[in-house]
Amino acid sequence: MVKPSSSAATKDDARALIHSLRSAYSATPTNLKIIDLYVVFAVSTALIQVAYMAIVGSFPFNSFLSGVLSCVGTAVLAVCLRIQVNKENKEFKDLPPERAFADFVLCNLVLHLVIMNFLG
Amino acid sequence: MAKSPIFILFSLIITFTVTNSFSIENPTDRRILVLLDDLALKSSHSIFFNSLESRGFDLDFKLSDDPKIALQRYGQYLYDALILFTPNSERFGGNLDVAGILEFVDSGKDLIVAADSSASDLIRNVAAECGVDFDEDPSAMVIDHGSYAVSGTEGDHTLIAADDFVQADVLLGNTKIEAPVLFKGIGHSVNPANSLVLKVLSASPSAYSANPKSKLSSPPSLSGSSISLVSVVQARNNARVVFSGSLDLFSNKFFKSPVQKAGSSNKYEKSGNQQFVTELSKWVFHERGHLKAVNVRHHRVGETEEPAIYRINDDLEYLVEIYEWSGSSWEPYVANDVQVQFYMMSPYVLKTMSSDKKGLYLASFKVPDVYGVFQFKVEYQRLGYTSLSLAKQIPVRPFRHNEYERFIPTAFPYYGASFSTMAGFLIFSFVYLYSK
Amino acid sequence: MVGKPDTNKTHQPDPTTTLKTSPFSLKTLKLKTKQQELLIRITILLLVYILAFITRLFSVLRYESMIHEFDPYFNYRTTLYLTENGFYEFWNWFDSESWYPLGRIIGGTLYPGLMVTAAVIYWGLKFLRFAVHIREVCVLTAPFFASNTTIVAYFFGKEVWDSGAGLVAAILIAICPGYISRSVAGSYDNEGVAIFALLLTFYLFVKAVNTGSLAWSLASAFGYFYMVSAWGGYVFIINLIPLYVLVLLITGRYSMRLYVAYNCMYIVGMLLAMQIRFVGFQHVQSGEHMAAMGVFFLIQVFYFLVWVKHMLNDTTKFQAFLRISVTSAVAVGAIALGLGTASGYISPWTGRFYSLLDPTYAKDHIPIIASVSEHQPTAWSSFMFDFHILLFLFPAGLYFCFKRLSDATIFIVMYGLTSMYFAGVMVRLILVATPAVCLISAIAVSATIKNLTQVIRGKTGQTVSAKGTSSTKGLSKQQASLDQSIPFLKNGATVLLFGAFYLLSRYAIHCTWVTSEAYSSPSIVLAARGAHGQRVIFDDYREAYFWLRQNTPQDAKVMSWWDYGYQITAMGNRTVIVDNNTWNNTHIATVGRAMSSYEDEAYDIMRSLDVDYVLVVFGGVTGYSSDDINKFLWMVRIGGGVFPVIKEPDYLVNGEYRVDKGAAPKMLNCLMYKLCYYRFGELTTEYGKPPGYDRARGVEIGNKDVKLEYLEEAFTTSNWIVRIYKVKPPGNRW
Repeated sequence: MVKPSSSAATKDDARALIHSLRSAYSATPTNLKIIDLYVVFAVSTALIQVAYMAIVGSFPFNSFLSGVLSCVGTAVLAVCLRIQVNKENKEFKDLPPERAFADFVLCNLVLHLVIMNFLG
Repeated sequence: MAKSPIFILFSLIITFTVTNSFSIENPTDRRILVLLDDLALKSSHSIFFNSLESRGFDLDFKLSDDPKIALQRYGQYLYDALILFTPNSERFGGNLDVAGILEFVDSGKDLIVAADSSASDLIRNVAAECGVDFDEDPSAMVIDHGSYAVSGTEGDHTLIAADDFVQADVLLGNTKIEAPVLFKGIGHSVNPANSLVLKVLSASPSAYSANPKSKLSSPPSLSGSSISLVSVVQARNNARVVFSGSLDLFSNKFFKSPVQKAGSSNKYEKSGNQQFVTELSKWVFHERGHLKAVNVRHHRVGETEEPAIYRINDDLEYLVEIYEWSGSSWEPYVANDVQVQFYMMSPYVLKTMSSDKKGLYLASFKVPDVYGVFQFKVEYQRLGYTSLSLAKQIPVRPFRHNEYERFIPTAFPYYGASFSTMAGFLIFSFVYLYSK
Repeated sequence: MVGKPDTNKTHQPDPTTTLKTSPFSLKTLKLKTKQQELLIRITILLLVYILAFITRLFSVLRYESMIHEFDPYFNYRTTLYLTENGFYEFWNWFDSESWYPLGRIIGGTLYPGLMVTAAVIYWGLKFLRFAVHIREVCVLTAPFFASNTTIVAYFFGKEVWDSGAGLVAAILIAICPGYISRSVAGSYDNEGVAIFALLLTFYLFVKAVNTGSLAWSLASAFGYFYMVSAWGGYVFIINLIPLYVLVLLITGRYSMRLYVAYNCMYIVGMLLAMQIRFVGFQHVQSGEHMAAMGVFFLIQVFYFLVWVKHMLNDTTKFQAFLRISVTSAVAVGAIALGLGTASGYISPWTGRFYSLLDPTYAKDHIPIIASVSEHQPTAWSSFMFDFHILLFLFPAGLYFCFKRLSDATIFIVMYGLTSMYFAGVMVRLILVATPAVCLISAIAVSATIKNLTQVIRGKTGQTVSAKGTSSTKGLSKQQASLDQSIPFLKNGATVLLFGAFYLLSRYAIHCTWVTSEAYSSPSIVLAARGAHGQRVIFDDYREAYFWLRQNTPQDAKVMSWWDYGYQITAMGNRTVIVDNNTWNNTHIATVGRAMSSYEDEAYDIMRSLDVDYVLVVFGGVTGYSSDDINKFLWMVRIGGGVFPVIKEPDYLVNGEYRVDKGAAPKMLNCLMYKLCYYRFGELTTEYGKPPGYDRARGVEIGNKDVKLEYLEEAFTTSNWIVRIYKVKPPGNRW
């Protein structure tokens, strides 16, 4: 970390990084991209809420928690789904994507039911 | 047949006397037992006795050694009050003893005790049990070279003119006692540990208690205004007791004699004794200063039903009616210092109650934001009045799960976020399933 | 781990199809070996299920169907309330009968799992038209759940090792004294249900890790929810699982399956747990739960890094990326943690937790925790008592686990080691260690016996289906290593096998003996041997509580040491000042202060708390040693912890606690002493001893002439165990 690399070098590194990441990412299948979009949406909603909480204070704490956790939960579940349906992952060869999606829906249902209960 | 009207009349009288006797609804005493050392006292103190009889009391005079003395029969007290004009009796007839007298007081009956110099141990014991300690020297008398009563002969200044009264109208009546009270007898001190005993007539600062016949060898044990001449005790059950160090205080002779206090130019035709004793007897026999609190109730504002439990932050009203016994009827008690506490280990709310001048007191307040088992407490203790101590237990619960505030504006973004993720989930599922 | 999914799949379809198609004839009754094995397995499980239930019924046979000890009475009372008033009333129950005058929000300060479970069973039975009393349901809840635990143990063992180990685990756990101690009939306490929930959660989590399935993970989240609703020990789960994940990450065994299992379990489990009012926001606020959250974030980062690495396919670029991200992440994390702790947002760890990490912590800091006997560090003898041979099989099992490392065995090893450590710290945590010890021992037993039987059966090895405790799936590796050329191998193996069976039978005998002798006493009814060897029953507690119920006013307040609070409210139906839910230390200290003050000082305290009756437990007549005089020093310590006027040395003579003539003067005149020994000086308790001879402490008491001024004796039970005093009203004339 204390490498005597100047800030310019880091910037270059970062630029190269982003470039190669973008090119690598364009190769992912569409269904995974949809999931990624969904994850980004959920995470950004969560971040907005955290920022909002920092401004107005944590008074309805249960509402805040349920709001944030619903976002985090969906994001995490979506990532799980992404892992399971990704054909590159050898560990989940046996698991049919339909089964994975059914599990995903089930978990989401439970999650949102609990969130509804916790929100008020 | 001729007998029956008499019989009916007789039974009527019995029922009359029975129903008229002391009760909660009618607190004035009716039947008084007077114990005397000597029947001569009956005539020498006749003004006092007559004034009692004229006020409707039944006096039953007995000699202190009368073997038929009995305070109760079959577990029922025969008398509502007891007057002990027996300064010298070491024991009573019948089986009346110190314990019996104290038990009499503890069951709510009233007592007047008059001691004198050389008071008997029996009197001393009764007094000591009530927080009144007579001078231990049996021959001691209260001597006052400062404010003795001026009389024809220069005596030993044991006849003193006391005018240091307690400032309480309820004890001594509304009219001020102008003339000093003549007193000749033993002094006593009140036990500081007892908060219920009260000096009604104190000696002057120049008084002391000693044997007038012997020379003062050591400093007197009692001196100054700490000497009490007449004291009263109001027990927790509102039994009232008067201790007087002088029997002569009640006598006709003192009632009638003119009085002039030493060092004072005011000369009174009549001593203040009669007024003092009469007013005091009105108090001790519950003709005055007896309060009752009825109809204690509480409810939420806007309701009338009394709930079994309150919730925190409820608004409530607490009502109580207080009446004073005037000797013949219950009159509304008017005061502006009745306070109610909402109490749990310490008062969370302390509020002066507003009165409607008709005896109804009301306080409305908000239940504090603390749950627990609370008490409505009214502790009303005023000098001379019966103490009112009302306590009513009521639990206070926190909010139920569905009583919390819902739909708080600050939380709307969170609601929005939750619902948007739900919507996002539906859209995502749809898109995901049909994108293939 | 690799072989596991296969085992399931090969087993399940076969028997069902064959059983369905087979018509009734003698030929078809002769099942294939696999079916035979299945049948035997099911039969054994069924027998174990029944055995686990009936071995816990000793207490009902010895005494009667009654609730035991202290806490169960509270649970019983709340269950009764739940069944009478419904769930919402229970959820919002504000109890004004305990902790007078503070009251207690029952709904928000208990783990409702046990009560709801019992109530559901009760309603279910009622629906099926079984007219049972709720008390019977409560009494039998713990044995019922112990039976269920054996089934879970079987599946867990099967998941971790093989079905043979599962069966052995089921048998071991069914009769293990460490578990029986908390689950005999009548011991209606949270732990009875919680161990089932604990094992279920672990099993489902391991299953989720093995399969990487969201559904299993969700199931384990529900298991966790049930555990949270049932017992405060859920903290163990929420710390063990992250620890496990961390260990896997460090040892490089990270897998996508782990990611799926942990994240889903954590998020959903946490959300579900927050629905329990007593737990509330603790998952995000208290330090005890921070490990799980930290691991959650860590695993996200880890996943992200792996993903980026996968995307980049270039190590130099990845390192650059790593450099940038790690510095920023560490900075942000440190700032957040510092802010959180500084603002008091993240609460410090509670005392109970500290005392887990440091056994001496409680003794020095929190007398109320240290005063409970089951919070004491465990003695070796009680390990031996509760585990017996499992104590020796445990290391052997660890050896086998290390020999065949997989995600599941790592989990069970970690569970075993951590819980053993905690069991050493606190007596009552032996309970948590019991399932782990049983499972690991079962692995040892199963593996050993299988190896031995294979040796005996010769080289038929691979396809042999051993009977009973060993199962079909042999380990080819181990078998290959067996050297046939050693002489007397078969005989030796036979001897060893018999030795193993002998040990196991000793274990069974020990367990039965312990259960019947030590763990079946309800402690509310005491039993002793009389002078002629007959059994004497002391039923003084219930006598006293029923006296309270019958003879005192409805709203009377009873002061006693907190141990008896639950029982007084449940059986005596009277308000108590403090009870076993020790949530308010000051209030308990006030009672401790009253008990250790002189009578007049105590009177003022009692008046301020509106106490009407004082109840003390006294064993001087019967020789019952866990009475209030023996607990008294704790009252002094707890009282002195809040009120420095109470000093422990005042009650000791040269650091020695005594009640005889040489006792400290303050001791001889404090309220507790007076109440216990009032009129005791007149009583001759034992032949040949002076009057006032205290049999519990074996001394003649020092103050035989006890005079009470502000209290009067109201009731003393027939054996003097419980003494109740009435607080006199203030004097009429003073």
